[in-house]
Amino acid sequence: MPENNDEAFEFLLARAGLSLTDEQKAELKTVYAGIAEMAQRVRKPRGRMAEPAHVYDFTEGDLA
Amino acid sequence: MSVIPTIAEAARLIAAKQLSPVELTRACLERVHKLDEQLHAFVHLTEERALADARAAEAAIMANGPKGPLHGIPIGLKDIVDTKGIPTTCQSKFLQDNIPETDAACAEKLAAAGTVLMGKTTTHEFADGGPSFDLPKPPARNPWNTEHFTAGSSSGTGAGVAAGLILGGIGTDTGGSIRGPAALCGIAGIKPTYGLVSRAGVAPAAFSLDHIGPMAWTAEDCALMLQALAGHDQCDPASASRPIPTYTAQLGSGIKGLRIGVVHHFHETDHQVSDGTQRGITAAIATFRDLGADIREVQLSPLQDWNACGSLISITERAAAYEEWARTRLGDFSERLRSRLMLGAFVSGVDYVQAVRRRRELRAELQAAMKGLDVVLTATQPAEAARIDAVPKWDLFAAPNFTMPFNVAGYPAISICAGFGAGELPVAIQLVGKPFQEPIVFRIADAFEKATPFRDRRPALVGA
Repeated sequence: MPENNDEAFEFLLARAGLSLTDEQKAELKTVYAGIAEMAQRVRKPRGRMAEPAHVYDFTEGDLA
Repeated sequence: MSVIPTIAEAARLIAAKQLSPVELTRACLERVHKLDEQLHAFVHLTEERALADARAAEAAIMANGPKGPLHGIPIGLKDIVDTKGIPTTCQSKFLQDNIPETDAACAEKLAAAGTVLMGKTTTHEFADGGPSFDLPKPPARNPWNTEHFTAGSSSGTGAGVAAGLILGGIGTDTGGSIRGPAALCGIAGIKPTYGLVSRAGVAPAAFSLDHIGPMAWTAEDCALMLQALAGHDQCDPASASRPIPTYTAQLGSGIKGLRIGVVHHFHETDHQVSDGTQRGITAAIATFRDLGADIREVQLSPLQDWNACGSLISITERAAAYEEWARTRLGDFSERLRSRLMLGAFVSGVDYVQAVRRRRELRAELQAAMKGLDVVLTATQPAEAARIDAVPKWDLFAAPNFTMPFNVAGYPAISICAGFGAGELPVAIQLVGKPFQEPIVFRIADAFEKATPFRDRRPALVGA
């Protein structure tokens, strides 16, 4: 996660294509830490082979 | 039978030609006219359609008998469910003029079962972020105390069922949006196994967490509704292709010897529930023990881990679904949903994939923990309903919720009323089954409801 500085913050908003008011930006900054904590929580020592839940198999439709 | 019948009671009376679907519908409409100015359970009442459906049901039943237990039963559909020729606004400024050309799969199935469509029920905007007071229609109010919140996002269906405006309805659940309103409104609501009920024609909140399910006064009624709703649909890429059991088959067969695992740390340590909720849970465990169930303790990862995983997935999938409007018309969303959508900027692609990898681990953990168990039990909501003007905007970060773990896992989970706490507001328990094992979830929930007096009491404003 990038540091919570103004430059990084503006970059993230620009990348997302969001145009926010100063008030919205100020509020959003107050909850950044909550997202950062969540992102930390989902990182566990699992190694490179651990699969995501979203995988798929082929159906009859693929074979038709 | 009370003044407001359950679906099961009404179905028996209709089949015996002792209750007319038209009279039943008129009674519901009378309650709507009397109460909905206070409750705001409906965003769009379809009174003419309801009476036409009821008359058609009555004629068909008089001629050939009912086609099933939902024939002639008044229901509501959450307003994110597409309905042919009927406005489907998702409670959003974006869709005020949206009139779908087709029914969602769940709407079609309930219509085919002979239900009477009373209207479209109130939702948080696109099923997230409420209560909001800056939308075209006001948020629903809790029938047990209209100064209080219903929870959401299936708020109108929850309020409508509790007040007897409808006997059942459709909710959707991405992190608790069926079970939360069911809990705070004192009714039953089940989030079925992921893929059991088609999502086709229902506005997405987060594709891989979204579930469609029934809400009704009792678990038995939910089972009757799920019977009509379940089944494979090629229009939903996540739809399961499995045999559909009879969901009421195990009702009344007792729960002696069934194994219930209690996730004590979820509601006692990870997020300590209110005194009233804890009393409800403790009494429920005692009831299950008295009924002969084998009670055990279950340990899972902290509730915070489940919520981090589910929230990152939810935030990202929602931001993707509504990206175009967020980029071009962000100001047209309600303040609360706008804030949720903005969070998408903070979650990287790698964060998302790490969350999805974590999801696989958590699902495996639940699978292992439930080996040898029939269901697990925890809270549904942390406390009785808050005042509607005191619901924190950023509750996502304030404390983890009890329902998200089972969206992450995709396991079926029902909320049922477990009594009344502070302010005589309902409290609830949540029972979670193994995938596609809804019949045993209903069996245990139904046994509890029949062993306790909580289904005998309706909100005072109903006058029932």
